[in-house]
Amino acid sequence: MYWGFLSIGARSFGGVLPWAHRVMVEERRWVAPADFAEVLALCQFLPGPNVGNVSVVLGRRWFGWRGSVVAFTGLMALPLVWVFALALLYAGHAADPLVRAVVTGVGIAGGGLFIGTAFKLARPLLRKRWGVALALSCFGVIALGRVSLFAVLPVALALGWLAARRGLL
Amino acid sequence: MAQLALYFALLSLVSVGGIPAVMPEMQRLVVDVQGWMSAAEYTQLFAVAQAAPGPNVLVTALVGWKVYGAAGGAVALGAFCGPAAALSYYVGGFWDRMRDAPWRKAIQRALLPISVGFILSGGYVLATPHGLQWTSALIAGIAAAFMSLTRVNPLWILAAGGLLGGLLF
Repeated sequence: MYWGFLSIGARSFGGVLPWAHRVMVEERRWVAPADFAEVLALCQFLPGPNVGNVSVVLGRRWFGWRGSVVAFTGLMALPLVWVFALALLYAGHAADPLVRAVVTGVGIAGGGLFIGTAFKLARPLLRKRWGVALALSCFGVIALGRVSLFAVLPVALALGWLAARRGLL
Repeated sequence: MAQLALYFALLSLVSVGGIPAVMPEMQRLVVDVQGWMSAAEYTQLFAVAQAAPGPNVLVTALVGWKVYGAAGGAVALGAFCGPAAALSYYVGGFWDRMRDAPWRKAIQRALLPISVGFILSGGYVLATPHGLQWTSALIAGIAAAFMSLTRVNPLWILAAGGLLGGLLF
């Protein structure tokens, strides 16, 4: 199992999720496709890194808490080495304005990827104006108002819960 | 370093929607409150984490590394993953059994617009390291459009962002 998760981490260029699916569902057939989708849906709902949570939940299912630890460390080991290698490489060249400009461009594009992901997720919300209002208020208060997430989350959850109970979301 | 660990552990528990959702709060702490780095440096660290293979949670390790060296990196990553992993470990089974409970459906419906608002904020904060500029807006807009409307591998979008960054900044 450690080697399986290690190979997911090793190949995860451009996102871990597609590789997690390929290794666990297609190559090693550890979980059925529908089962994988269900575990993933749960882990996207829970706080924390999604694929990290998948490794904890599946590791536990197969080998208890030891399984969770082994799966999680297997998943993170190689990406951690690579990200530090890349960060050291960048630190060595950060004084070069061109390198800094390119890396800033990559970071801004990464921010754009998040915005695109939010639009994708928002599709089922589009016809629910209270949902759109809640999402936009969260954006206004956090991104523009710079209010702490710890203050926003409880209020937003209470409002969302009330709206959902009345069938508005 | 204890402060960093405690803060990241708390952040772990409110990261509904994963890493993108807590980027604004992490940036607020690291840049506005503690002054450990500039907004531009934060976006550059994030770029390194995005460009390396592996889960985007590794950005927490880079933030810790930048502030307190390699030990800080390990502490930040552990603090951010630990509480969420413990929660998925214990809640995983329980949440599954509650699949049809009305309160669970209400929470799930309430969380969708909230995480959309959070992720949107994360993208905005990362894409505006120098405040609102047409150059950053252009890069982020193109990236968001390709992410939400096409199935292009995100790595190509990041590469294009780097190219545009090199030309425009």
